[in-house]
Amino acid sequence: MTNATLDARHSPANLEDILAPDGSAWNEMTGEVIALTPTPLDRQPSAYVQAAWKDRNHGAVAAVTVQAIRNDDTLALRLQWQAAQPKRSIDDINAYADACAVLFPANGKDTDLETMGSPERPVVAWHWRAGTDAPFSVTARGIGTVERSAEHQLQARSRWSDGRWQVVFARSLESDGLSLSGGTDIPIAFAVWCGAGSERAGLKSHSPEFHQLRIN
Amino acid sequence: MGSKKRQLAMVFDLNKCIGCQTCSVACKMLWTRDEGTDYQWWCTVNTIPGRGSPRDWEQMGGGYKDGKLSMGKAPERSDFGGGWDFNYDEVFYGKSAEKVPLRVVGEQPDWGPNWDEDQGGGEYPNSYYYYLPRLCNHCTNPACVEACPSGAMYKRDQDGIVLRDESACQGTRKCAEACPYKKIYFNHQRGISQHCIMCLPRIEDGVAPACARQCPGRLVFVGYLDDESGPIHKLVSEWKVAVALHPEYGTKPNIFYVPPIGPKPINDDGSIDENRNRIPDELLEQQFGPDVHQALATLQAEMAKTKAGGQSDLMDILIVYEWKHLFSEFTVDPVDIEQEAN
Repeated sequence: MTNATLDARHSPANLEDILAPDGSAWNEMTGEVIALTPTPLDRQPSAYVQAAWKDRNHGAVAAVTVQAIRNDDTLALRLQWQAAQPKRSIDDINAYADACAVLFPANGKDTDLETMGSPERPVVAWHWRAGTDAPFSVTARGIGTVERSAEHQLQARSRWSDGRWQVVFARSLESDGLSLSGGTDIPIAFAVWCGAGSERAGLKSHSPEFHQLRIN
Repeated sequence: MGSKKRQLAMVFDLNKCIGCQTCSVACKMLWTRDEGTDYQWWCTVNTIPGRGSPRDWEQMGGGYKDGKLSMGKAPERSDFGGGWDFNYDEVFYGKSAEKVPLRVVGEQPDWGPNWDEDQGGGEYPNSYYYYLPRLCNHCTNPACVEACPSGAMYKRDQDGIVLRDESACQGTRKCAEACPYKKIYFNHQRGISQHCIMCLPRIEDGVAPACARQCPGRLVFVGYLDDESGPIHKLVSEWKVAVALHPEYGTKPNIFYVPPIGPKPINDDGSIDENRNRIPDELLEQQFGPDVHQALATLQAEMAKTKAGGQSDLMDILIVYEWKHLFSEFTVDPVDIEQEAN
């Protein structure tokens, strides 16, 4: 598995055009196909989860195609993946919605991805879940320590058609959260949850290694 | 606050429960009126025998078997029912209001809290039923806490109350799968699960939980399990007349029940059979485990004592001559609490 470098090239497109999941602004951007693997069962943070999923598969989504773009004010990422049976909302207590997330070291430089950060070097993730286009940001300091954190300038839009999700995350370049200053590579990782497979929390497909996001 | 581990517990005397749902409503008014909580009733009272709330919850698994977590499933929304919209405008303000009954608007429900109310069991004249109030058991071995992958659930050392950090809850609903009593609810608006918090803010101010304090039957005892001067310790540990619901689930619940004795059966000739109970022993054992038989025997022996003109400390506790005797140190009047402005 080779690490990809995502180039967030500058575009004159305005925010609305960038947020459109099938917008033409994205046509010009090359995409990287990121291979995803099921998260290891023995790292799930509760014995119950490990026992409950012992004879059950998770990590149904094998790949996500990712593109990046920026304009003067905003960085955006588009994630696309195949979902023949989308779960578009949490429509019951035992139902789980499709979801995706992008994850960064909180310091923008380095952390341990395998453990989802550590107390000293947390990770931040932008999380989108089908049924709402109100994404949220989370901070984690190790597996099983996810907490929602304020990231007020985070937006998302989504679209499902022809068996495929398209989800755009957009965040102001200038924000209190993760520093997105240009010129450096920021490690980035990806996760996708298949709602039809009851995937949630640690049960997901993920990129087991960091890739690089280059904001030009 | 010391570091000593203590456990708050409650005892419901089912011989006094009239199924009035005042506990359910007291809880509802206090805790589940926000968006997403419309169908949530952290305290419910069901007629037994019956399928319960949520429907058929005893068949959904969870808890522990042989010391290991046992897989369970989360109830579906329709198993809870409730949270309906009613035709209030039509009834209260419509032209033909007098002829219009209050009814559910939209899809007609086929289940809800205590849906099989008073159906009971047995054949006339030996019909029987009893009421069973249920809330989170604040278990000593809480399967929900062990199952939570998000670190959101925990059990407090100082009182054993099982709580959830809502900012950490990811809505995975593993807790709802693992809880064998199916007393965890999912808030679809907020994407998190929720459950009874034993009226924690009241407890911290010395006020009994709302379900207990509001009970018109004075049948809900509150206190620490290790408080030897309190009624909980006496009923659970000394007299052993208060037993847990489904002890075989392995979570060690801290809500206990004085089992219902019920009426005696009527024979074909109209005489009363003093040697048996209408509520089948098997049903009570299925609900409360084998210890229920000794509990019932003790209750009946002590009742016989007082019937014969004698005195029984146990009966005195269960009669509750003074309401404050129910609540150990949790007798502060809520109106005496200084409310802090938010």
